[in-house]
Amino acid sequence: MYDVGIIGGGPAGYVAAERAGQKGLSVVLFDKKKLGGVCLNEGCIPTKTLLYSAKMYDHAKEGAKYGINCSEVTFDFAKIMQRKNKVVAKLVAGIGAAMKKGNIEVVYDQAEIAERASDHIKIKAQDTIYECKNILLATGSEAMIPPIKGLVREEILTNREILDIKSVPESLTIIGGGVIGMEFASFFNSMGCKVSVIEMMDHILGPTDREFSILLQQDFAKRGIDFYLGCKVVEIKGKEVFFEKEGKTESILSSEILMSVGRKPVTQGLNLDRLGVEVVRGGVKIDEFCRTNIPNVYAAGDITGFSLLAHTASREGEVAINHICGIPDRMRYNAIPSVVYTNPEIACVGLTEDEAKAKNIAYTVRTLPMAYAGRFVVENEGKNGLVKILVGEKYNEVLGVHMMGNASSEMIFGAAIMIEMQMRVADVQQIVFPHPTISEILKETLFAFNE
Amino acid sequence: MANPVIMPRQGQSVESCIISSWLKKEGDEIKKGDILFSYETDKAAFECESEFEGVLLKRLYQEGDEVVVLKTVAIIGKPGESTDQFDDVAEIAKSEETAAAPVKEAEKVITIAEPVYIRPDGEKIKISPRARNKAESIGISFTDIEGSGPGGRIVEEDILRAAASRSWATPLAKSVAAGTGKSIPIQGTGAGNRVTANDLFTATQPSGDDSEVRKISNMRKIIAAKMHESLQNSAQLTHHTSADARRLMELRRKAKEAFEKGASENITINDLVCYAVIRALKKHPMANCHFLGDSIRVFSRVHLGLAVDTERGLMVPTVKNADGMNISELSKQLKSVANSCKKGNVNPELLASDSATFSVSNLGSYGVELFTPVINLPQVAILGVNTIINRPADLGNGVFGFVPYIGLSLTYDHRALDGAPASAFLREIRLEIENLDLTF
Repeated sequence: MYDVGIIGGGPAGYVAAERAGQKGLSVVLFDKKKLGGVCLNEGCIPTKTLLYSAKMYDHAKEGAKYGINCSEVTFDFAKIMQRKNKVVAKLVAGIGAAMKKGNIEVVYDQAEIAERASDHIKIKAQDTIYECKNILLATGSEAMIPPIKGLVREEILTNREILDIKSVPESLTIIGGGVIGMEFASFFNSMGCKVSVIEMMDHILGPTDREFSILLQQDFAKRGIDFYLGCKVVEIKGKEVFFEKEGKTESILSSEILMSVGRKPVTQGLNLDRLGVEVVRGGVKIDEFCRTNIPNVYAAGDITGFSLLAHTASREGEVAINHICGIPDRMRYNAIPSVVYTNPEIACVGLTEDEAKAKNIAYTVRTLPMAYAGRFVVENEGKNGLVKILVGEKYNEVLGVHMMGNASSEMIFGAAIMIEMQMRVADVQQIVFPHPTISEILKETLFAFNE
Repeated sequence: MANPVIMPRQGQSVESCIISSWLKKEGDEIKKGDILFSYETDKAAFECESEFEGVLLKRLYQEGDEVVVLKTVAIIGKPGESTDQFDDVAEIAKSEETAAAPVKEAEKVITIAEPVYIRPDGEKIKISPRARNKAESIGISFTDIEGSGPGGRIVEEDILRAAASRSWATPLAKSVAAGTGKSIPIQGTGAGNRVTANDLFTATQPSGDDSEVRKISNMRKIIAAKMHESLQNSAQLTHHTSADARRLMELRRKAKEAFEKGASENITINDLVCYAVIRALKKHPMANCHFLGDSIRVFSRVHLGLAVDTERGLMVPTVKNADGMNISELSKQLKSVANSCKKGNVNPELLASDSATFSVSNLGSYGVELFTPVINLPQVAILGVNTIINRPADLGNGVFGFVPYIGLSLTYDHRALDGAPASAFLREIRLEIENLDLTF
């Protein structure tokens, strides 16, 4: 019998398996395709690889601003895709090695819950029954395809298919201006594709602090991306998207359509009913210890339908394993960073101003241009960047940090620590930041609270 | 003019009392003798009766507050009367009381019941028992805390303040604790179990809903501290024996008859055992001692402590000078202290563990056959009295039969007493029990 059976080998499942292995638990990990999940195979890693190529291309073209003249800068799209595949293959192999090292038994098949016995749960895969004392559901999520008139699934792309296209389309219509939509917008715009974004809300990037989403939108508009905000897609005919804005119907015809309106948890085929696992709005409901309503059944990652981020998933996986081992640990969602890997990057953690207002939290706020950090000026000729920090009005604790500008993704963890540790402005002010770095902008902004 | 209600002084060593509960609200009409509030010291609970008539104008403290004795707790007067002038009243009353306080008897001055804590620089740490309990319960070291009480004494508030600056609470939690006066729990829900600001307001449940966290009474905290301290700070072990109880049972039968015929006391088996113990102690004075670390206080009198189970928990009141009493007097005194413990009006001086020289704990009525009672330091021994059971015995002339035996469990502190003298003392108790010669 296994201590833990993990269904799904993405960031929730494989990290949980690794941690469980380190703790000496016997683990069986099921995955229907490849280890790494959406993150590694059709999400975080391949998109960031593409975006980095785009960034290199942008930089090369901008070389003259730094005194570097590159003539006839071109890109080889096939090679970009090839490199992406190589990176993915390398990292997937890395996870396989980690599983081997941790003595994790990996079963490549669609697993389903067979039945519950008195002291274990039976999982069926490859016509074999695996008996597990505990199970962790980590089957992730998939792109949501809304029921739009005339939509033919094969005619449109999601994050999965667009990663395998052979050439840069002449034009691309992106339905949904969230993080996934904006990252692809950034990439294809850099690649010279005419990008249009249709978004139902009156702003892009969902819950991102409005000041930042507006800035990015303006930046992208300057680069030639068209935005159709507050627009509802009503019909798709071939590659033509029809949408309504204030009662009027307009349409965009483009070479490709990317659907990125959101993601939904994957639970079909698992047979959750056999255990009676509670599902709310499609997601498996968990508590702060990542327990479902059924004893010994845990869930982590996108299957919960909540905080759909790879790093949330991994952390949930760890919490579930710790709970199984009796190690005190719990999920806290208030200090989970989120990053938009566009060029420029946006990185945020904690409360936005809108959230603080909605929760009636009294706060003060300071905003500084990134150019206050010397290093940003050094490396970002003619670029804008911004940092906004929210602190509690009474105790001056850091509530939210929002940044736009490249390198933000690499330093947002520092802000996450401030929030996780409930540090006050005065506490962070005593920390030494290396000079010259862009991260100094955080300290600068915190000192602005003394003014 | 309105009258102040003052926190009574319960015994010379009591510096402050905790208000357990208010029985009257502001605005209530008060008659003389009405119970205004109940309060407790480390050792006992009391009720405060009103000496005045009128209306309860103001309550100056909340339930759970620690109030220095002779401070004004409440004000009684006519409806609408001003209460402003009472801020200083308590101080005046205090100075008068201090002047009038009788000088303590020389013998009583030596108290080592409270453990002595020394700072690294050799200075003795003054800390109130409540502060010490708080410090222990939340795991705070108080050796480097500056006390804000009289003479630099550490009071509960100092502990709470120190708790607020502990490193394993987040900076925000510390600020909020300092700002709201909330105490910081030992563990929180933050990273590495850090206490977050939210944890100050929500009792955390480690898992599930099959348990609830209840606050323990002050009494419970004291018992916990004393028992733990005893086991930690002494070298105690227990010897068991049993005494032929035929004589004991015969005397009990006679005493019962005498009581039914009008004798003043209904003398119990426990009274008889205590009487035998006192006689044995007179022959073994080294068991009738206090162990003081570098010296032993040997008593010429026997002050007998008796473990009493009350609704509020275990209490061990003392019958002073028990060696001078006949069985009837002893029985009366034992019942008297036990009853006042149960009522909650026992003199706290009699509950101090250094007020007794030896203690007896009787679990016989529960059918306990053998146990290891815990010594009340600084006493050096305690006798556990067990149930009477029939055991096979040699009745002489090759005849074997069943004889009732009473079990005796003597726990002693090996620091003070060695195995042989302890065993000799236990044998003495047995012989006394088997040979009691009493008439009623």
